[in-house]
Parts: sequence; structure tokens; C-alpha cells
Amino acid sequence: MRKRRLTAALMAGIMVCGMLTACQSKTVQDQQGGEEETAQTSDAGETSGSNSGAPEGKQVLSVTTWDNESSPQFQAVIDAYEEENPDVEIKVIDTSADEYNNSLGISLSAAQPDPDVIWVKDMGSMLQMADKEQLLPIDDFIEEDNLDLSIYKGAAEQLMYNGKSYSLPYRNDWYVLYYNKDLFDAAEVEYPSNDMTWEEYYDLAAKMTSGEGSSKVYGSHNHTWQALVTNWAVQDGKHTVVEKDYSFMKPWYEQGLALQDGGYIQDYSTLKTANIHYSSVFKNQQCAMMPMGTWFIATMMQSQEEGETDFNWGIATIPHSKDTEAGYTVGALTPIAISAFTDQPDLAWDFVKFASSEKAAEILAKQGVFTGIPSETAFQTIAAAERFPEGESNVEALNYTHYSFDRPLDPQIEEIRTVLNEVHEMIMIHSYSVDEGIAELTKRVGEIKGWN
Amino acid sequence: MSTKRKVTKIVLYVLLICLAVTMLVPFYWMVISSLKLNKDVFSIPMRWWPETMHPENYRVIWEKLPLVTFFKNTAKLTLITTIVQLCTSCLAAYGFTKCRFVGRDVIFLMYVTTIAVPWQVYMVPQFILVSKMGLNDTHLGLILMQAFSAFGVFLIRQFYISIPDELCEAARIDGLNEFGIFCKIVFPLGKPAMATLTIFTFTNVWNDFMGPLIYLKTKELKTVQLGIRMFISQYGADYAWIMAASVCSLIPIVIVFLSCQRFFVEGVAASGIKG
Amino acid sequence: MKNGKKTFLTSGQKRKIRNNMTGYAFVLPNLIGYTVFVFIPVIFSFILSVMSWDGSQRPMQFVGLQNFADIFGDRIFRGTLLHTISYALMTVIPTLILALLLAVLLNNKLKGVAVFRTAFYFPYIASIVAVGAVWNMLFQPDFGPVNEILKAVGIADPPRWVVDKDWAMVAVAIVSVWKYMGYYMIVYLAALQGISSSLYEAASIDGANGRQKLWHITVPMLTPTTFFVLIMLTIQCFKVFDLVYVMTGGGPGNATKTLVNYIYEKAFTSWEFGPASAGAIVLFVIVLAITLIQFSGERKWFRDM
Repeated sequence: MRKRRLTAALMAGIMVCGMLTACQSKTVQDQQGGEEETAQTSDAGETSGSNSGAPEGKQVLSVTTWDNESSPQFQAVIDAYEEENPDVEIKVIDTSADEYNNSLGISLSAAQPDPDVIWVKDMGSMLQMADKEQLLPIDDFIEEDNLDLSIYKGAAEQLMYNGKSYSLPYRNDWYVLYYNKDLFDAAEVEYPSNDMTWEEYYDLAAKMTSGEGSSKVYGSHNHTWQALVTNWAVQDGKHTVVEKDYSFMKPWYEQGLALQDGGYIQDYSTLKTANIHYSSVFKNQQCAMMPMGTWFIATMMQSQEEGETDFNWGIATIPHSKDTEAGYTVGALTPIAISAFTDQPDLAWDFVKFASSEKAAEILAKQGVFTGIPSETAFQTIAAAERFPEGESNVEALNYTHYSFDRPLDPQIEEIRTVLNEVHEMIMIHSYSVDEGIAELTKRVGEIKGWN
Repeated sequence: MSTKRKVTKIVLYVLLICLAVTMLVPFYWMVISSLKLNKDVFSIPMRWWPETMHPENYRVIWEKLPLVTFFKNTAKLTLITTIVQLCTSCLAAYGFTKCRFVGRDVIFLMYVTTIAVPWQVYMVPQFILVSKMGLNDTHLGLILMQAFSAFGVFLIRQFYISIPDELCEAARIDGLNEFGIFCKIVFPLGKPAMATLTIFTFTNVWNDFMGPLIYLKTKELKTVQLGIRMFISQYGADYAWIMAASVCSLIPIVIVFLSCQRFFVEGVAASGIKG
Repeated sequence: MKNGKKTFLTSGQKRKIRNNMTGYAFVLPNLIGYTVFVFIPVIFSFILSVMSWDGSQRPMQFVGLQNFADIFGDRIFRGTLLHTISYALMTVIPTLILALLLAVLLNNKLKGVAVFRTAFYFPYIASIVAVGAVWNMLFQPDFGPVNEILKAVGIADPPRWVVDKDWAMVAVAIVSVWKYMGYYMIVYLAALQGISSSLYEAASIDGANGRQKLWHITVPMLTPTTFFVLIMLTIQCFKVFDLVYVMTGGGPGNATKTLVNYIYEKAFTSWEFGPASAGAIVLFVIVLAITLIQFSGERKWFRDM
């Protein structure tokens, strides 16, 4: 009986719709459009922002972010801006980090007016977007506002493409070594020092590996990025990841594989197929150490703040190779840019300007985020933050003497990185031997650059 | 004879029970894992019953994931798509079977030639087109791209053909106009075909993964599947949470399925076709 | 839409126009949607396959068959064809046999048949993301339940499933069989119930036993259904994407990348719409070929009956 009534109700609904469609001789699209409006779904193209029920007259600016919930790196600035400009509402389009560039590309290729402001995940994709004319050149704005680019200590100039500015540096990050103090205490092993060679680090990883099955604690953790091997190869600044000959990477791949095959880090294919995020590995105390960028400091601080984790952790300088001293690190800039298709460039610029200002830098520093404006005070603020690990060595660990970019500003860098990633995967899953992989890299990058 | 039959019966039951258990073990494992601590999910030796229950995993999921929004989105997409699909298919099927107009056969031929083209073949240009209309990352775009199918028209048309024209003719003599005939006679008679199409569209849209994956980017617009997928990529090592989220994602479909089971089974049996 | 103000038309012409208008009014809502969202994209797909375009504001360029030459020269694309075929080989026959077996078992008059039917059909209804997540954990190589069981029955060195490039596709295929056999079981069940009971009665009178009835009545009567299921399964295999995407993401090392994965990645990751569409046309040709086989096959069954 009930089933029959259900069908009847469904039929009645269908009938009504059917009648509407035919009687009014309206096309289905119109009708659907009507339903959409009442359902209050965001409609691209309109700045009135129908989805959030914003009061009349409020301007809506849309920005794209990744993993916004697990780190305050974007939200802190967004909140501050909204507070200062009560008539502006920021609409956040959030995507998970590994799908970010993908989904951003989809919106940009559609040339839609949303998003207005783009946080660019890395310099390579910024070059790519600038090359496709998907970013708005901001030179005129800079000139008009007499913006002082010297506060970025050269980073703004680094981000130029073909002599034009498309973005301002928002964040600046470099690699450090995170460790789980509790696990080291339990094993009665001394914490990683700020002056360690890679060899010492490998020994430490082996020492810290314990347990079996699901309760196994790995000595360290390498995420699946190719950067977690190649970065150390370019750390001394003598090479970049765009080279005519890749044999300099051989020892680094051999060591990466040795760590994996020795069972001191989780193996690549498990991480890759299960799509495991590095932060959940560290937060679940499944690894004793983890080389990762400084952006993870803010993530950990937030996680402690929210009570998601409550173990003691620490930061050490990234290990260095035998022939350099401590203080060599690898890093990258995170630019902020304006979409070329925005329908409110002035407002977008205002936000971009704010987000990369000294004021925003101060706010971000309190959350443990390093901005594109390097200053001693920012360092002090971060170190003094409540959830920042205690102990002088943690603050020291943030210092570096030499900084190399993890990828050079090469217009074809994204294409090259695709090759690097593919070969990296093949080597890590033992489909290629290290030598085969290096030969393949040398050949394919040469083809892209037109060297052979 | 009767003991032999009894033995056969017992053998059959044992076989069926074994098979059913094998089929359902993954779901059982999903549920018990969702009640364990993250670190105990893979404990060795395997435990088929958790020592201590941790239902708080579900609270964590509830706090971390806007599940209600995801369900609302999925339900909205599914309902509207199904209704639009049904209405326009029935109308068109009536036009193709009971009306005569210039170009009818040519238009129908267009439907027939494209019926076998899989969506994956034209998803890229379709996406470009929908994006150019500014409908990327909206529910409307996703609804429109799924709501019109040759299969729907074809299925209903096959059924309407079997409705004798004399029935319509008689109604016409009684003074009903075409739309009246459609509403009062043909439409009610077509219920079985519509049930089939409803179930077909419903399951397809509800469980669609690739469409929303390509079209929906804003978190607030995502469907259950995308939402869970997003959660997995962020909390990959929190096994128990992932299983709890998976269990949650299955609850509505289990309810719908169990309450309308008959339709599901009959729908598949009647169409015997998957697009 | 109603028209009829033009009084200089004869009543016959008027009726004709009105008939036309009513016809269009019925067809139009679907026709417009179908043309815009299906028909035009299908045509556009063919056009794009001979173009070079990255989706940006730059105009597309005609490159002829270069895209096809490129993808067939691409080791990864040839790999996807191979993987898709091996996936089809591993799933089609097992799904078919198991579906038939389940249907035959359920076709007995037993109490609680509906419960079993629900159990077998349920995986088909379950969402792919949840299914992928749970199977990935079941297949966990070091301490997952599947390998624990294998170790318990004496296989000391069980396969590493999704993590191993030689076994990943097998794992995906197993899940696929598990998920989809319930659906085809229902199709078979409907066909079984369509077999007239008088045939079995006649056979019983002639003294045929259960197995003879199965081989001489059930199986031959099911041949058209089997053919249909075979075709549908094969087409479905060539369209596979979701399951691979949620279970392995195409890895490890492209070992499970399928044709549709390739199209998706080319289009939405690297913005090469030309090669993506060329890949789509290849898919179209494959599906078309299978469909043509189906048509000729169907004609045969209908003639036979």
C-alpha cells in the first residue's frame, strides 16, 4: 500500500511538472533556471552572491584555496580583510591540495568571472597560467599605488614572467625536519640536531623504526612528491631539476630507495594508491621524523590548538650533504594573483595587496605562517606563538644560510615536472632501475628543451 | 524422493548463505572498523568483533564533514534530474509515437544514431560547452548535462508504441485535445516504463562519480561521493574515520533501496539495459 | 504555440499546421536539451579530435590526424588500451558465470529468496567511493584482512594487490566482479522466469533429471540473454573509470590506467583537448564495433526464434 502511495505522489509531481513544461511552452532550461534560483545555488558570473544570503549591496569576492580547513594560512587573512572591509564578503572555493591545480585549470579554461583571486600553489603553475594569459598583469596597479616591492627582498621580481608582474609573493616556505618528541623520548634516542648530515639522518631513521603490522612506527616519512628526493639533490645549489644530465641525482635516488626497501619509511606505492596525506601520517604518530615544508608548522599548531593531536613535536634544520655545512635549504614561493577573467579587478587587487602586505604578514606570523616578507620580527612572532614547540633549538632550526628554489623558473617547468614525477614513480616502484630512470629523464627533458 | 529433495534444499541454503556472507563481508568489515580506534583497524591477529566500541568516530565525522549538505546536494541533483528526464522523455515519446509532424522520422533517427555513444566520448566537449554557458561548478550545469538521454526517450517510446492508437482516436472523438490524451490516457498507462526509467536514472545519478568530479569544485556544492573522496584524501591514514564516513554515505541509499526494493529489481529486469 | 489566426488557410491546411505544432510542442523540450547537451557535443568531439587546443583563449588549430598519430605513439596510451583489454578479460567471463550461477540458485522456490537477492544485489547499489575505500583496506598488503586470510590458509607470500603493478589490475577486477554480478544476476533471473514452465514439465515427463534440464533447457533458452550480458559487460569494461580512479588512481606507475582515465587526464589535467578527443574517438570506435556485433547477433537470435 505504502509503495503505491509513494508512486502516486511521484506521478503527481511528475504530472505537475509535465503540465508546466507543456502548457507554458517554456523550454526546460527556463524552468530549471527558476528552480535553481529558489534553491539558492551559487550562480557564476553574478557578483550579488546569491548563495550566502548576503545583504544587499555587499560585494562578493571569490578566492580559491586548498585544504583550507587544516591550516589557517588563508582563512586568517580572509577574516582580517572582511573585518576591515565590512561591505565585502569573501567567498572561498576550497579544493583538496592534490586536485587544486586541476580544478583551478578547469574554471580558468572556462574563462569564468569566478574566482577573482587565485592563490597559486607553486611558481611553475603560475608561469603556466601566465603563459596561457589566464592571469591579470598587475604592473599598472603596482605603479598606480606606488607599491614598494623591496619589502619582498627580490621575491616579487623572481615571480615576473616575460618582464611583467602577474602575482605578489604571499608565502615563502622552505624545508625543515619535523620530529615527534614523544617517540624519541620513548625510544630514549636524542632528538635530531640542527646540524645533521643526510647519512646521520638515515641512521637515525633506521634506529627509530620499531614495531610490526599496523602499530609499526617508521623512522621517517617521505611523501610521494618527487621533491622529497630531488630537493636534496639540488640543495647545494649546484644543480637544478632542469639539467642536461641527471646523473647527479643517482646517489639521492639510491638513498631514497634504500630507506624505502629497508622499511624505514612507508613504501611509495602504498602511499600513492591509498592517496595518503602526509599530515595524517605525522599526526597519527606513525613516523618519528618527516622532512616537510615550513607550511606544516601552521597545520600542526592548529591541530594542537583544536585538540586533534596532543603529542610533543619539534623542528630541526633539514639535514645537509657531507660536503656542505648546515643551513642549506630548499624552498618555494606561493604567489597570489588575479584571474584575467575577473569582473572586479579593482576589488581583487585590493585584496591581493592586503594579503601580501606587512600587516597581513604580522597576522599570519601569529598563526605560524611564513610570508613573502622575510623579517626578523616575523620570525620572533612565530617563535613566540603559543603552540610553537618550546626550546631554543626549534627557533634556530628555522634559520638558513643558503636557499635554492625547488624548481627553477623555466617556462616549461610544468611539462618537465610531469616527466620528473612519472620517472620518480617508476623508480620508486622499481619499474625502472635508477640508471634507467636517469637515462629516461635526461632523454625526455632534453626533448622538451630541444637539446638533443 | 522427499529426503533427496530435503538434502538438495539444505545444500542450496548452505551454498546461498556462504555466497551471501562473502558478498556482504566487506560491508561488515566497514561497519566494525568504523567502531574501532584508528590504530586498531589493522590489528594483528584480525578481530572480527571490536573489543571496545568507539562510536565517537561518527561524531568526529559529523564535525569534520558537512554530510547534511552533501546529502542535500545529492538528493537535489538526483530528484531534479530524474523528474526532468521523465517529463521530457514521456512528452517526446508521445510526440514520436502518437503525433505526425514534418521531420519526425529524421529527428528520431538523430536520437537512434547517438543512443550507443557512451558519455565518456563526448564528456570533454560537453564540459567545454557547459562551461562556456557559465554553468561550470553549478548544480544546474550538472543537471542539464544528465537530464536528456536518447535512452529515456527510446525506452518510453517502445512502451507507447504498444498502446493502441484506437484508444487515442476514441479520446480525440470525445473531444480531448492532444495534451489531454497524453495526460489522461497515455501517461497513466506508461507507468511501468516510467518506473524503469526512474530507477535507472535514480541509481545512475545518485551513484555518479565522474560527472560531479569534473563539474563540481565548490565544497558546498559537492555530492556525497565527492565529499567522502575529499575526506579520504585529507585523512588517508585515519582508517576508522574513513570507514565511518563510508558507512554514513551508504545509509540513505540503503534506506531507499530496502523500501523500494521491488522497483529496483523490476526496473533492472524490465530494462535489462544499461546505457 | 497555438496558431490559427490566418484565416486565408483552408481548414485542412490549418489542421496540418496545428498537428505539426502539437507534435513539436511534445518533442521540443527534450529535443532542445538533447541537441544542446548531447548531439552538438558528439559532433564537437569529432571536430576537436583533429584540432590542437589547450582550452585557453587562443584559437584552436587544425592539425589533421596528428592527434591520433601522437596518442598511438604515446606509450602510456598504448598501455591504457592493453590495461583496458586485460581488465575486460578478467571481469567479463567471471561476472557472467557468477551472475548465471546466482540466478540459477535463486530461481528455486525457497523461503527467503528475496533476502539473498538483496544481499547479492546490494554491492551494485553501494557508492563507488565507499566500496573503493573498503576494498583498498581489505587489500592492504601488509596487514589487510585479505592477505591475513591468505597467510592463514598457507600462502606465505601473498600478492601485494593494489600496491603491486602486476596485481593491481587483478584487485580492481575482483572488486568489479563482486560489485556488478548482482546486477546481471537480476537480468538473468528475469530471463529464467521468462522460460515457460511447460518446457520443464515436459522434460520431467520424459524423465530428465535436474542437470539435464539445466543443460538442455535452461542454458539454450538463456543464450540470447547471455549474448546481451556479454555485450553490455564488454562495453562497460571499456568505459571503466570510477573504480580505477578510487582504488588505484591509475597507478602504480600507470599499471591500471584505462582508456577513460587517459581521456580524463589529457583533458582535465594537461589541457590537451585534441589528444583527449582523439582518445575519445578511439573509445567510440571500439564501442561502435561491439554494438555492431550486438546488432547482427540480435538479428540472428530473432530469426532463430
